[in-house]
Amino acid sequence: MTLAQSAASAASASAAAQPAAQTSAPLERPLVQYRPKALSLTINGKAVGPLQVPEGLMMIEFLHEYAGLTGSRLGCGQGICHACVVILDQPDGSSEEIRTCITGAHFFNGRSIRTIEGHAKRNEAGEVVELSPVQQKFLDHFSFQCGYCTPGFVNAATVLIERLARAPIAKADVESAIMAALDGHICRCTGYVRYYEAVKDVVMSTPGLVKDAA
Amino acid sequence: MTRALLTRLAHGVLLAACALTLAACGHDESSGSSAAFTPTPEQIARGRYLTKAADCAACHTAQDGAPFAGGAPIASPYGTFYGSNITPDKAHGIGKWSADDFYAALHDGNARGKRLYPSMPYTSYRQLSRADTDAIYAYLMTVKPVAVDTPANALKFPYNLRFGMAVWDMLFLKNALPDASAGQSADWQRGRYLANALGHCAECHTPRNVFGQLVDAKPLSGAALGRVVAPDITPAGLAGRGWTAADLQTFFSVGIAPQGSAFGEMYPVVHLSTQYLDKDDVRALSVYLLGDTPPAPQPVKAVNADAAQLAAGRSVYLAVCAGCHGLVGEGKPHVAVPMNGNSTLRQANPHNLLVAMLDGIKTQHFAGLESMQAMPAFASTLSDDELSQLANYLRATWGGQPANVAAADVKALR
Repeated sequence: MTLAQSAASAASASAAAQPAAQTSAPLERPLVQYRPKALSLTINGKAVGPLQVPEGLMMIEFLHEYAGLTGSRLGCGQGICHACVVILDQPDGSSEEIRTCITGAHFFNGRSIRTIEGHAKRNEAGEVVELSPVQQKFLDHFSFQCGYCTPGFVNAATVLIERLARAPIAKADVESAIMAALDGHICRCTGYVRYYEAVKDVVMSTPGLVKDAA
Repeated sequence: MTRALLTRLAHGVLLAACALTLAACGHDESSGSSAAFTPTPEQIARGRYLTKAADCAACHTAQDGAPFAGGAPIASPYGTFYGSNITPDKAHGIGKWSADDFYAALHDGNARGKRLYPSMPYTSYRQLSRADTDAIYAYLMTVKPVAVDTPANALKFPYNLRFGMAVWDMLFLKNALPDASAGQSADWQRGRYLANALGHCAECHTPRNVFGQLVDAKPLSGAALGRVVAPDITPAGLAGRGWTAADLQTFFSVGIAPQGSAFGEMYPVVHLSTQYLDKDDVRALSVYLLGDTPPAPQPVKAVNADAAQLAAGRSVYLAVCAGCHGLVGEGKPHVAVPMNGNSTLRQANPHNLLVAMLDGIKTQHFAGLESMQAMPAFASTLSDDELSQLANYLRATWGGQPANVAAADVKALR
């Protein structure tokens, strides 16, 4: 979806919301309808917006329907499976996973996120020319089958790798760190072992992540 | 701080007085007879039920510990107590105790000559019948003995001087606890025994005075012992937050009712105790709490509040809460409780609401297949301003409470 299309769908969404607002009450309590509100954020390094987005829309819907980024997966829709996570980059250089199915789009106003579309290197035509180390190892290890949970696992593993680059851990703690980092992610094809092996491969083969790596 | 010091000083003086009293009396507290005790299978089964109704496991079974082997920490303003090993191990547990000894511990706080602290609620158990303490004793003697020492209490001075409890008992140990409700029916009488003796509700829900004794004038009106405040469960308090007898029964049996789920220290109470109560006892408990003529449950009042503040709070709600609690506060089954009419939102004191938002709530498994998903902690995600705006939006919209939470209130609980 282009930005023009995004704007168009935002406009149509707001047009749809307008007729429902018959009264001009100062504040509606509790909220029973969506009202458009401006939203600007940075996605994969690019500024997006301001777009008029109904306040209360969940982020996963915004990514799919407004930003045209359909790689993030809606799984359980209630915050359990973690297929929908994106990476939230904090101003202090740290980053964390955040579940987009239960987080409103406007939570991200003014913030910077990365989605599964932002990991690989692309050429000027937008074609993928090089996968990220995590993505590549997932392929090398045949980590996934249906692939539905994979965007979440890529984001979780990437957050872990970046954290280890900032604060390396002891070799003995690698497996438990991977377990803790991926624990919330559910894979219904039950390919966990190969995901975990692939992440361990990345951790052990990337210099500077493990203090006593020999 | 000064007040705390003065309190401790006062307690020290009281303790000195009791030391003298004890010395003067030459008190002998050696244990009595150890008459032969041959339990019947019915008595053991009854004891098993009563042990659950009295929630012994809450303090006497540690997390990941063997049943009734002790070691569960009980934090208090006086320091940390540890539940003791009450398995029939002869060296570490109560294997050498007679039924008389056991009765003396539950009735008088006298554990074979050692004065118990009222963290062991003999103050409530004192009302148990001898038949019931014998049944509990009979059941505990069938539990697997575990050779584990109970950790020593870590109490502040002067509370670590155990002999002071003799005078405390003399002054404060009562044969009966006051009632918060009125009634005469058989259900009410049974409920009184369940609530005041077995369930020892008052130990958390009745406020305490300067020496840690329960305040007689305010039974079950709510008290703050731990991080989560035990709410007001008087008839007026419960009805004011929309509770009915039927909803209370659901709450005790399942852990979740339309008004919300058990959390904080009430969660293990439901988990270990009330969910095992039979239907008659659950009904009796609800009758006692609300009285024979229960007050009508109050609808949520409309509240006027500053529109700008509420709009800000609503934005926070839509950003981080509505995904689970619903756009109109309707909640999601098996995920998150409704906010609309939620009992915690309807408390005048926003303490528990703020604690839940700051600390989050772990995944909770309730009776049957019911469960509630973990609620994230928002202490690091939301600022004091955002949390106070959110609390005010919730209180004014669904709690019928004034939007009077300030950022400083949030800060104080961080």
